Amino acid sequence: MRWLFALALTVASSTALADTFRFTAIPDEDEARLVERFDKVADYLSEQTGLDVEYIPVKSYAAAVSAFRNNQVQLAWFGGLTGVQARQLVPGSEAIAQGKEDAAFKTYFIANTATGIEPNEDALPEAIKDKSFTFGAKTSTSGRLMPEYYLRERFDEAPESIFSRVGFSDDHTRTMALVQAGTYDIGALNYTVWEAAVKDGRVDTDKVQVIWSTPTYPDYQWTIRGDVDQRYGEDTKAKVQKALLGMTDPDLLESFPRDGFIKASNDDYSPIEKVGKELGLLR
Amino acid sequence: MRFIRRYNSATPRLIDSIVGTNIGARLMRVSLGLIVLTLIALPFADLAITTRDPWSELGRMFVGFITPNILATESPLHAVLLTVAFAFWGVALGILLGFPLALLFMRSRLVRVGCAFVRAIHELFWALLFLQVFGLSAITALAAIALPYAGIFAKVYAEILLQIDTAPQQTLPQGVDRLSRFLYTELPLAWARLASYTRYRFECALRASVLLGFVGLPTLGFHLESAFRQGRYHEAGALLWAFYLLIALLPFWAHRRLVPLWLLGTLFLLGPWPTVDGELLWRFLSVDIWPQPLLAGDFKGLALWFTQLPDLLPAIGNTLLLGLMSTAGSLVVCLLLWPLASRHFGQRATRWLGTGALIGLRSTPELLLAFIFLLLVGPSLLPAWLALSLHNGALIAFLAARHADQLKFGMPGLKGVNLYAYELMPRIYPGILALLFYRAEVIIRETALLGMLGVATLGFHIDSSFAYLMFDQAVALLLITALLNIGVDALSRRLRPDALAPTIERTCEG
Amino acid sequence: MSLIELHHVDLGHGSHIVLPDLSLTIRRGERVALLGRSGVGKSTLLEMLRQQLANQVAWCPQADSLVPTLSAYHNIYMGRLEQFSRWRNVINLLRPFKQPWQDINALGAELGLEEVMRRQVDQLSGGQRQRVAIARALYQNKPTFVGDEPVASVDPHQGARLIELIHTRHETTIVALHQRELALAHFERIIGLDAGRIVIDAPSHTLDPDTLDALYQTV
Repeated sequence: MRWLFALALTVASSTALADTFRFTAIPDEDEARLVERFDKVADYLSEQTGLDVEYIPVKSYAAAVSAFRNNQVQLAWFGGLTGVQARQLVPGSEAIAQGKEDAAFKTYFIANTATGIEPNEDALPEAIKDKSFTFGAKTSTSGRLMPEYYLRERFDEAPESIFSRVGFSDDHTRTMALVQAGTYDIGALNYTVWEAAVKDGRVDTDKVQVIWSTPTYPDYQWTIRGDVDQRYGEDTKAKVQKALLGMTDPDLLESFPRDGFIKASNDDYSPIEKVGKELGLLR
Repeated sequence: MRFIRRYNSATPRLIDSIVGTNIGARLMRVSLGLIVLTLIALPFADLAITTRDPWSELGRMFVGFITPNILATESPLHAVLLTVAFAFWGVALGILLGFPLALLFMRSRLVRVGCAFVRAIHELFWALLFLQVFGLSAITALAAIALPYAGIFAKVYAEILLQIDTAPQQTLPQGVDRLSRFLYTELPLAWARLASYTRYRFECALRASVLLGFVGLPTLGFHLESAFRQGRYHEAGALLWAFYLLIALLPFWAHRRLVPLWLLGTLFLLGPWPTVDGELLWRFLSVDIWPQPLLAGDFKGLALWFTQLPDLLPAIGNTLLLGLMSTAGSLVVCLLLWPLASRHFGQRATRWLGTGALIGLRSTPELLLAFIFLLLVGPSLLPAWLALSLHNGALIAFLAARHADQLKFGMPGLKGVNLYAYELMPRIYPGILALLFYRAEVIIRETALLGMLGVATLGFHIDSSFAYLMFDQAVALLLITALLNIGVDALSRRLRPDALAPTIERTCEG
Repeated sequence: MSLIELHHVDLGHGSHIVLPDLSLTIRRGERVALLGRSGVGKSTLLEMLRQQLANQVAWCPQADSLVPTLSAYHNIYMGRLEQFSRWRNVINLLRPFKQPWQDINALGAELGLEEVMRRQVDQLSGGQRQRVAIARALYQNKPTFVGDEPVASVDPHQGARLIELIHTRHETTIVALHQRELALAHFERIIGLDAGRIVIDAPSHTLDPDTLDALYQTV
């Protein structure tokens, strides 16, 4: 009944979405004034591709994937894992570009200094066992997937068995705040967020420090739907890709924040897919 | 010769309370039972306190709260109006759907079960479900509010209609058709209570509308959650103040006469409507939400599928434990706080502060309260317990104070504790308990939101399943949650002094 | 010709018998007053009459059976709800029809209600509400009037006037009362109930206030 009604509503107002090309993006951190910042990116893409481009703000990767799947956005800046999820749901979609940093992304494990855990370059210190630990968001590649992978590799146990308590802070910035406050002893987060915070002095390195860095893995990427050429005219995909790779204006790049974009393909993310399946986060 | 005469259901109870068939003793038994049960359960709860240095973060929050920055948010007015629009239209559609169901409610078991089911699932989870097919659109928001609200309206409206005075109906001439009878007697008799309940629900819808922002719909909650999560406390403070004002000024801007204006005026805000991909919708309904082995008829696979579900027993245990503890906690908080906002105690200034504090506590999203306590006492069930108890306790306390303010009584000159214990509590306690048991169901639903505390409730796993796009698992867990809720609701209905509930509900004017 | 005849019947609610073994005959054209302390079974008897006589009865219960949130006009209109179609009734709620509006206003004028026709009943005084309830019964236009304390909360003078108005509009009147003087002066037959039995049943001119007082003595 409810569905029928909703359908009727939809049909009745079929003015709906004209052929505007829409994209979404969530930066690693600082989601303030999203529309203002990404409208500039939309203008740039418009200029370069000749399409009418609009930015749709979303706040979670789950929402971004849902919008992508529903064709409410045709292009999205996804994390490593969410990109794989999205491409599974929308057959024919493709990863077309990644950030220069994303080919070799890292996760930092951080610890409150009061725990007395010393940094170690080679492996996660044994001392983190039985401490409390927080991930970031549940589907974050750098805040959940890869740290869990390396935790299991190091200790051959599930995080719940390694630590006295495991939380999900939902955000890299909050992971930092919680570990600094000592609410959680240990946390894992996106390395760019940490480095930006250290640079700006937003984190007190006397209270919290990096104890280990993971090996590198691929992360964020632009993913585009497979049917865009059909809907927006031939070569749309190629034009969008070219525009992304050619983005050099630091003002635009700062929104992500990245130094620039380089080519990417679906295959670049097969390690992520493999780990995702191993951990039961992907089917 | 036999006459069937229906007594007003309150009459025998009233008589009981006078002659002492001890409704008071029963209420006392129920309350003490609740407290004792909670004390027994307490050792099983994870209440560790671990914290080192919460003060710098709390300090930043406090500074942000007292120096809010209104300009930090993009188009805050749009967010506020959209919050209001979703609430108005969600409630309107809820009534449109729920009212006819209310008329069938007492006659059809199917309707009763259906309603119990749709209201057993939190608005946020409905939103997550609808999000998959309608995307980030007004349809998702309206459906997420209207559907559970239809179930709630059907039930409560039916109960109100059942409790009206039947004398006027009996004086009607014979042979009056059903519609005329309804419009001339039942509806006008029930009108005042239907209207006040609907007003109360509207305030709930406003909170729900803010909450929908947490999953990405662009209401106040969208910006509030982001700002808060990322530590932009000046912005979060401004948005919080905006929400408090919205709630506190509700009687002025949401006046009955203005409702049609709001409905029409906010209509254009709801667009653009998305095109719904029929194929996708069908796939979601016929494939995505069902366990794959079940569709393939592979029963061995189905067994495996079950083993892949998250650990259910601890999750159910945590959910129930937290629900029980928070219900008892709400009772204690309410008993302590309600005098703060009542005209019978204190002076004008203290009352004003007390009312403000209660409005603040009940309007602050639980998630935010929980985060503050998380910083203060560390991750465990404790911050969740404190947050849920304070939020719900304050909500009931506010209604109890309004109820107490309407009372007139015989013994002049009683003050303070004597007034509280002899004149007021005996009169308002049944209402408080009735509301508390209504809220028990809501509390269970709210335990879902607290994944960041490192405590795995059922809701935590549902949220995870949606995040991992495992809709079959999400739906299975939702069904389990719904059954649990229906069970809790059935239990609380048996315990609560039903006939006495309406007196206090009527006080929900604000 | 008799309107109703009862021979040795038990009256009550469900299994609870209030008036056992009751025999009573009421003829058309009679003016009957029913007296007795509260709880002796007056209402039970009236209720039975109402059910037995069904469509011939204009029923006037105590004033609390009005719908407080509707106007006086609508409450009176309800007396004839069954005579109009449902849609007409619905429209009349929103905007009164001319004919019933005129009829009901004329009736209201006789009862001193012309000023309050549009007012919600819960804003009226007790006496006004009682007159609205009577107006509703009169508007039904039935041969028999059955009333439960229809003039309880008006002054004796006005009570008498209302009773006479009821008499002129109905062939038969059967009314439960507590004002003895009113019963003696304006009714032909008085039935007194006590402890579930009829203890008095006589023409009013054979009775005096003292005899009736006995009905109100505690046993």
